[in-house]
Amino acid sequence: MFVFDTLSLVFVTLILLGAIPNLFYSSGYLPHIERKTHYQLHYFTFIFSMLGVVVSANAIVFLFFWELMSLTSWQLILTEVKEKATIKAARFYFTMTHFGFLFLLLFFLIVTDGDLTVGFAAMKLSASHFAYPTLLFFFLLLGFLSKAGAVPLHVWLPYAHPQAPSPVSALMSGVMLKVAIYGMFRFLFDVLYPWPLEWGIVILTIGALSSLVGVLYALSEHDIKALLANHSIENIGIILIGFGMGMIFDTLGLHTLSTFAFIAAIFHTFNHMSFKSLLFMGAGSVLHQTHTKNMEKYGGLIKAMPVTAFTFLIAAISISALPPSNGFLSEWMIFQSMLSSSHMVNTSLKLAIPFAIFALAMTGGLAIACFVKAYGITFLGLHRSTNAKHAHEVNFLMRFGMILMTLVVVSLMLFTPFYMQYFDQVMVGLGRASIYAQIFPNGIWNMHSVGINGGIVSPLILLLSLGGVTAFIMFAYRVFGIKTRIHNSWACGYKTSAKTQYTATGFAGPIRRLFDWLYKPQEHFSKQTIAGHETKFNDSHYEVHVKPLFEKVFYTSIVKAVNFTSYWVYRLAHFEQTRYAAMIFNIMLVVLFSYRIFAHDFSWATFVLEFFVMMISVRILIIGDKK
Amino acid sequence: MILYFVTIILLVLIAPMLLSYIKATKMMLLFKRPISIFQGYRDFSKLMHKETIISEETSAITTYAPFLVLSPLLIVMFFLPPVVHGSYYVSFVDAFTITGLISLSTFFLMLLGLDSASAFGGMGSSREAFISALVEPAMVLTIFSVSLMAGDLGVGQAGVNLAQHFPEEHMASFLFAGISFFILLMAENGRIPVDNPETHLELTMVHEAMILDLTGVYLAIIETASSIKFVIFASLFASLFMPFGLEFSAPIAFLIFIAKLFFIATLVALLEVNTAKLRLFKIPNLLGLAIVFAFLSLITFYVLGA
Repeated sequence: MFVFDTLSLVFVTLILLGAIPNLFYSSGYLPHIERKTHYQLHYFTFIFSMLGVVVSANAIVFLFFWELMSLTSWQLILTEVKEKATIKAARFYFTMTHFGFLFLLLFFLIVTDGDLTVGFAAMKLSASHFAYPTLLFFFLLLGFLSKAGAVPLHVWLPYAHPQAPSPVSALMSGVMLKVAIYGMFRFLFDVLYPWPLEWGIVILTIGALSSLVGVLYALSEHDIKALLANHSIENIGIILIGFGMGMIFDTLGLHTLSTFAFIAAIFHTFNHMSFKSLLFMGAGSVLHQTHTKNMEKYGGLIKAMPVTAFTFLIAAISISALPPSNGFLSEWMIFQSMLSSSHMVNTSLKLAIPFAIFALAMTGGLAIACFVKAYGITFLGLHRSTNAKHAHEVNFLMRFGMILMTLVVVSLMLFTPFYMQYFDQVMVGLGRASIYAQIFPNGIWNMHSVGINGGIVSPLILLLSLGGVTAFIMFAYRVFGIKTRIHNSWACGYKTSAKTQYTATGFAGPIRRLFDWLYKPQEHFSKQTIAGHETKFNDSHYEVHVKPLFEKVFYTSIVKAVNFTSYWVYRLAHFEQTRYAAMIFNIMLVVLFSYRIFAHDFSWATFVLEFFVMMISVRILIIGDKK
Repeated sequence: MILYFVTIILLVLIAPMLLSYIKATKMMLLFKRPISIFQGYRDFSKLMHKETIISEETSAITTYAPFLVLSPLLIVMFFLPPVVHGSYYVSFVDAFTITGLISLSTFFLMLLGLDSASAFGGMGSSREAFISALVEPAMVLTIFSVSLMAGDLGVGQAGVNLAQHFPEEHMASFLFAGISFFILLMAENGRIPVDNPETHLELTMVHEAMILDLTGVYLAIIETASSIKFVIFASLFASLFMPFGLEFSAPIAFLIFIAKLFFIATLVALLEVNTAKLRLFKIPNLLGLAIVFAFLSLITFYVLGA
């Protein structure tokens, strides 16, 4: 019923690391929630169900906890229903998560042969007898990636995450998405093991697309929590790039490289859990003080909220993959595993991998831009609204939660070898050779790549030298005893005020303009002119909104198709009785005719004949004359 | 080991001279009376004697960020490839770390721009973020290609390997990677097609806009950082794409290296005089060119070589 192997335990650790600081934060946040019992009940059940998912050993328990996790998180989104958008977001989330559940159920029904209580080994046996393993793979992808939020099933994240209370968004984005990654590891390794090459390529492509799409929409976002939710899409994409590389290397027989890529994926899973939870907590504190999610209304919060600002800075450095943070280390590992693609023999594949490298590198660059924007507009400069002016530091429990999470982030950076040992054990548990000794061949100081042209990174040395050099320069600055004077900003002689600052919209302007073809932004510009003079105005207002292309193209067209079908169903419901009788007659014809196909008594001539008979009877009996 | 430290100190010391040299060359080519190549040192000492003025709108970021802009770049100086054969070099750091450290420095510079609450700072940060986001993919792909040719991702080791076994069979990809890297050198250091370091016109400035509100020692620190950044890129270009002259005895090899740096500086000055500054929204075309060359370099390596 339950399994406690290394993979499960490592993910249990991940959930606990994400949940324990969150408990403190949540307790600090609690006074501002109206329905306390409802919230507490669902909050603890949510954490419990996530733990349940990662330790369950058969399908029925897995599905039970999975569904419990979805339902409790759905209710948690509905904790504070103040605007209609919340209900809409919750409904969207509910639909998407059950869309995934459907495919998971299909997957389990096939691999367990209907007996949902069998273990993974039995599942593997039935899966190996199933004629279409790729179908199973796609069920698994749709099931887990709709939860993890990878392209094209990512659209619900920027709606659902911002609407939940902040501790819950931290849990959902930081931890719940990782449970889906656990599912990928568990079932791809334990049930569907020998993978064809194409599966890895599919996952790599999805990962590369998700990372780019996530970061691009994050840049165009002004809602700070939606921005972070979009970054979750990006980071899930990065994890999937590592995962896909692992699968590709595995099918090509490069087992060491494959293990390295999988370890990189697990490491990034941990890192994303840590910094994304911290970022959501920071965003939650800011939101809590300013009562708005709009970044244009923030500014200058670093003076009023130093703890929040400092922890947010640590997380921002980490998510931007800047050395020597933990985010840099895992992204370094994923880059290294992609650079090792030169070991492959297949030239077309070798030529294709650089495109994924390009996507990941572009993502890294844009993520830096995005977090400069998020940090700079939120915490630096002058306050842009009265609420931001009156903000002050959040209460002790919330601060404590954030500090604890910062410690998790820092520990993932400082004790990388320690964590890496366990990630390595996960891969050993999944039947791989240990490569810990190859990653850390001489002590904990240097991390090596396992490829031939691979590199080396030394996180601790970097950290020490950065600290040392900075301290040295600052010491020198003090020793020189330079006089400091406080004066207002020069800014070429213009007077600075909250309104003269750059806005978040303006900051992302150049990038938005470059990716105009993707964003297709809707611009709203209004200007109060003086006496009709175009160039003279005393007030102007500019706003840009970007609606995700995927949502516009993909989801809206599905909605249209459903509407269209339901219109025909509606018309059907209002037929006369004679037409119903005709329909029953036609259905009987279909059954009789299709029986021949199943009885293998099939010939094209009879098929064509029967088709025409059907068409004529439908035309005459059901559709009838047009009035 | 002594040689290693002497190299670093000398490189840091000649950093301001290189930028002054570029400026002087440009002025000479434009028939102006050139500034002295020691102008950089004079500016530095003048700024060191000034008091620091901190804007009242700023926060702790302005107090600490200048140090954090300089220190990653100073650390990168320790990781550069050796100038003389047999000299010590750091083998435990690879090219990704170096680009990461440079990004870290840029990250704090961009925050510094946003901190002073002036429109100029924000404008500079926004443009810098835009440019550095586009530089990143080209940089990573170029690194990848060079690491394949040199057989190592660590820049120190790569420099040594390239000097010992020049990849003649991969000359095409070597050249493409070189072109790509040179474009990146111009873009990252804010030279003319991308940014004009000499004007303070809001239409054109990127780097200068971010540091508009700094003065005194802080400005000196930032100026030092930007000159060190140029030395880093120039010496990476010199070691990786002009890998010769290491086998001579220490003083001669060092002179050759300095000559290479000045050659690159001359090249930059010539390009600056002969090109106009691009509009901000044309910069993606230039950086796209760098990306295309990096891809070409990889493709030719895979298709023609090995």
